[in-house]
Amino acid sequence: MAQPPPKAPELPPEASWPEESPDGVDLTLIQWTLSLTPLERLELLQDWVDGLAELRNGRASER
Amino acid sequence: MDEPRSVRFLGLLRALLRHGVDFFVVGGVAAQLEGAPILTFDLDVLYDKNPENLARLLAALRELKARYRDPAGRHIEPDAEKLATLRLHLLLTELGALDVLGSIGNGLTYHDLVGRTILYQLGESQVHVLELAAVIETKEQANRDKDRAALPVLRQTLAMKARLKPDAKS
Repeated sequence: MAQPPPKAPELPPEASWPEESPDGVDLTLIQWTLSLTPLERLELLQDWVDGLAELRNGRASER
Repeated sequence: MDEPRSVRFLGLLRALLRHGVDFFVVGGVAAQLEGAPILTFDLDVLYDKNPENLARLLAALRELKARYRDPAGRHIEPDAEKLATLRLHLLLTELGALDVLGSIGNGLTYHDLVGRTILYQLGESQVHVLELAAVIETKEQANRDKDRAALPVLRQTLAMKARLKPDAKS
């Protein structure tokens, strides 16, 4: 019989959330993204992608 | 076509909206819009396969100069027949990588999931996005390594969203 998918562990109220979940997820990062508007979240993702592209292109030009 | 330096998420969404395509955002960008800090390098969208919508989608893809990401380097463009029959269209456009999907998870289509979307205001654009619980379900169904790797962050985000105050930003 198939096992049910694992559920996220129970979390305490927001004010006392730990920094990391027992399975190693950074909860502070999630709190931060949840504090943003959807447009800000998309802009954040765009910044991450652009930053990595800059690093990649910089590394390529150093070769 | 010059290789794009990186994907332009809003630009891709605006092109689809400009052509009136019936679609919604799924995958990593949907998760990010729902508040999960997930890094992704392409935009995944699920589209309605009705013939009128296929024509609108094809017009948008032509404007974006879309072609399939072909490992052999061949230049293959999407067309109405491929969009109507194939499930996955992994495309490269002048605004970056765009995955146009006829179904996700265990074969779930636009009509199976459109009732589980949220309308987001992104600047001047309104975009339908698959809700996080459904993103998790489809990734559990897909069950690829990359899907399983993302699940702990997605599940924790869903748990934290459920505990946030009602006045919190969506």
